[in-house]
Amino acid sequence: MKPKILIGVVSIVLFTSLLMYNFGNSISTYVNFEQAESRSTSHVIGTWDDTQSYGFSKETMRFTFYMKDEDGNVRRVIYPKPKPNNFEEATQLVVIGEMRNSAFHADEMLMKCPSKYNDSDDLEFVNAEESI
Amino acid sequence: MIATIGNALLTGAFIVSVLAVITYAVASNTENRRVQRLSHLLWGVKGLFILISSGALIWLIMTHQFQYYYVWNYTSLDLETKYLFSAFYGGQEGSFMLWIICSFFVGLGLIRWTRKPYKAPVMFVMALTQMFLLSMLVGWDLGFSKLGASPFRTIAQEMPNAPFIQANPDFAPADGSGLNDLLKSPWMMIHPPIIFVGFSMMTVPFAFAIASLWTKTYHEWIRPALPWTLAANLSLLTAIFLGGYWAYVTLSFGGYWAWDPVENASLVPWLIGTAGIHAMIIQRHSSRAHKASLFFAILAYVSIIYQTFLTRSGVLADQSVHSFVDLGLYNQLLAFILTVTILGIGFYLYRYRELPSPESESKFLSREFMTFTGAMLLFILGFVIIIGTSSPILGRLFVENPTPPDIQFYNNWSMPIVMVMGIATVIGQYLFWQKHTWESLAGAMVMPLLITSVATILSIIFGEVRNLYYMLYIFTAWFTIVGNAFVMFSLLKKNPKLIGGSLTHFGFGALLIGIIASSAYTEPLLDEQTANYNKRVEAGDVFDEEGFEINQGVEMFELELDRPKLINDTYMVTYEGYDLSDTPRPGQQSYKLRFEPIDGGEPFYLDPVVYPMLTSSGPNSIQWSVDPDVRTGWLSDIYIYVAGSKYVEKRNEEVEEAAENTMMPVADRSADSTDVKQIELSKGETATAGPFTFRFIDFAPASEESVPENTQIGIRSLVRVTHEPTGAAYDVEPLFAVYTENEESYTYSPPLTIDRWDFEVMFTRINPETDSVELSVVGLDEEFQEDWVLIVAEKKPYVSVVWLGTFLLMFGFSISIMRHWKREKDTAKREEEA
Repeated sequence: MKPKILIGVVSIVLFTSLLMYNFGNSISTYVNFEQAESRSTSHVIGTWDDTQSYGFSKETMRFTFYMKDEDGNVRRVIYPKPKPNNFEEATQLVVIGEMRNSAFHADEMLMKCPSKYNDSDDLEFVNAEESI
Repeated sequence: MIATIGNALLTGAFIVSVLAVITYAVASNTENRRVQRLSHLLWGVKGLFILISSGALIWLIMTHQFQYYYVWNYTSLDLETKYLFSAFYGGQEGSFMLWIICSFFVGLGLIRWTRKPYKAPVMFVMALTQMFLLSMLVGWDLGFSKLGASPFRTIAQEMPNAPFIQANPDFAPADGSGLNDLLKSPWMMIHPPIIFVGFSMMTVPFAFAIASLWTKTYHEWIRPALPWTLAANLSLLTAIFLGGYWAYVTLSFGGYWAWDPVENASLVPWLIGTAGIHAMIIQRHSSRAHKASLFFAILAYVSIIYQTFLTRSGVLADQSVHSFVDLGLYNQLLAFILTVTILGIGFYLYRYRELPSPESESKFLSREFMTFTGAMLLFILGFVIIIGTSSPILGRLFVENPTPPDIQFYNNWSMPIVMVMGIATVIGQYLFWQKHTWESLAGAMVMPLLITSVATILSIIFGEVRNLYYMLYIFTAWFTIVGNAFVMFSLLKKNPKLIGGSLTHFGFGALLIGIIASSAYTEPLLDEQTANYNKRVEAGDVFDEEGFEINQGVEMFELELDRPKLINDTYMVTYEGYDLSDTPRPGQQSYKLRFEPIDGGEPFYLDPVVYPMLTSSGPNSIQWSVDPDVRTGWLSDIYIYVAGSKYVEKRNEEVEEAAENTMMPVADRSADSTDVKQIELSKGETATAGPFTFRFIDFAPASEESVPENTQIGIRSLVRVTHEPTGAAYDVEPLFAVYTENEESYTYSPPLTIDRWDFEVMFTRINPETDSVELSVVGLDEEFQEDWVLIVAEKKPYVSVVWLGTFLLMFGFSISIMRHWKREKDTAKREEEA
């Protein structure tokens, strides 16, 4: 084999493996709160536990609430921003951050909302019907 | 009726496009002129059908026929006409129609301008892609599976099992559920059409590549394909710019670029298309890189379809801020991407051995090698972004439930790649116009390098750059700007028509500088107290109530009505209240914030907006959305939005209360609704209630018109109400009267409302012996807070340079398009004459 082709193949393989290695490190998997205890940063999916108190404190500038993960673990979540506007509406929450002393400190929070942009749900249909 | 016609024409268009695929294939193989003319006729008929069909859909939208699912789902009665029109392509189905229409017109252009032997096979590929796009819209029920989703389906067809449909199959809602508020923007009217023009035009190089493989003519195809590819890139770039600008100024994405999958979906084809342009230019000049130009031309379109697949099949549903509705088109989209890939890459590999290869290697210091390096770098960057965007699929190799990659993944990889790119543009441009040896090149580089070094040092000093990596990046960015500027000026002297390339590369350099300045050096605008808090957080000196270290700073500040705060030591910022209005969105609040530079500059106002998202708010809660305000400047932008306000909080509480009340028995409702406070005051005396003080100054006479008939006593008391924390004060003169009616005495104490603080003052009793008065205050909240807003503000330096770089890129592309198009026309004319 020509040395040029060899160098080409080697560099492509090297580049691709480095890229895939780095890609593998930069993605993460969704875990529950218990698994999050032993990790540095985690993505946790769950729903808002509306039976317990929640709210934004203007003193600490933080929003706290309780969240139930997909396996039923409930933990307090602390989010250092105002309550997101569509928080109560969210059918699913994803918090990204770390567990400290059995409270989850979220750096980021994503909300899945039943908005028609993402899916058309029958809930909204009820409203349309009422409006007649 | 209209809908039936529209639907029938869609089906017709699909069938005609299948026929056109067949006839164009025949025409390509036999070169039969009559078959070719028939194929063109079919193309025109299909276009007519799709145009009428789109007209039908627009008519249904304009006339509010809400029994149709699409009309109901994306529009409503109160939507302005311009947004009714853009709602046509607001959903998945309509956007496919728009794409098909754009492709139809591109096809007309190809029929008009393409020369032999490419016309028939190019149109074959166009017809094939049209067939796939149309198949997404026919809505046939094949029994085992559905083929596409028709925009003309009714609500009854969409959800046949819903109870209200079972009760009344002709059910038509009175109003639609409305267009997503985020899409009610003038940008919505131009951004999607331009995207689809770009997508359609990017089909052309693909079609020419296939035609070249089909006809085994590997040299000539790039001449007609090059201007089309350039035009496709210009459209995509314009669309990317519009999308970025839209995201920046009206959606609160926080910036102009977020590596969102849908943004990447237009960036990757642009990068690969640009790689293709580079390869085509080498091929045109030096008759090399045939393989690369074919490969990139094919790949650019494959990447468009791949990203379409990702964003429209539901694969990315959890990851993107704007993924589409999942219409169950997964299998069809998969078939589309597989067909395009197999046709393109398969055909390419099949012919690979026949493709011309250069006889000798090109030297390192040659324009061929440098231009090819540029193409490869663009391709590699596109490849990296494809890997990142594919995380829901590729990530499964690593973890079970993959999340999207960190933004850092994209940043870390793109930064070194664009740095090498920047250097390659300069060396490439120098070599493009003149042959150089190492010595002569080094000589030519002295001046540019000198200027680059000065510019870099100045940037580092004035920009307070501390990061070594950023210094290197800034150096390469300046080198790109300066080096290409040198080339551009020498070309301007010779022949200004040739500057397209160097202008584009110059713009690329400006873009590099703008991106680093505006993203890495964005700083939050904060008041002193918050800034100090953040410093303590950074030092690790702040702990929460449980004794844990807080490691996140606060990136917003609070403003109370009429109480200025010094922000960033540069601006006195005052919140001057908000205006409620109903246009363009009902219930929107526009907050007035006055910025006064303390160094004596001209004061200015910023008016960020908060509005309820009516389309997604339910009866029990309101979803709020924000519309930031941006003050653009040459040196820096101020980007600001409202993160919370008293008004929003109050409205939320009201809605919550209303929701609770509906569940409570009626008797409990008014339990604590009247909260009356009595205050007794002698003349000159002051009493305190919560944050307010009430001072009884003096009695005042009451005019006769203000009192009831038969009044015996009528008098007012002059009272000054002060909000102590702000010092804001109002003088009120409540009235007290005693009158007789049917020989009985009554008192009359009309309430006076203080709107700003939302309570009422009444003068309810007078004590003649002590000359004191009794005031009743209704609705006073002891914990009353003055109106407040939470503000997130950022200073983003040199966003203007990002836009400038983008404009220069566009301008450079335009110059190149004109040059290559003119040459192509000249060739056509010469051939006709010959």
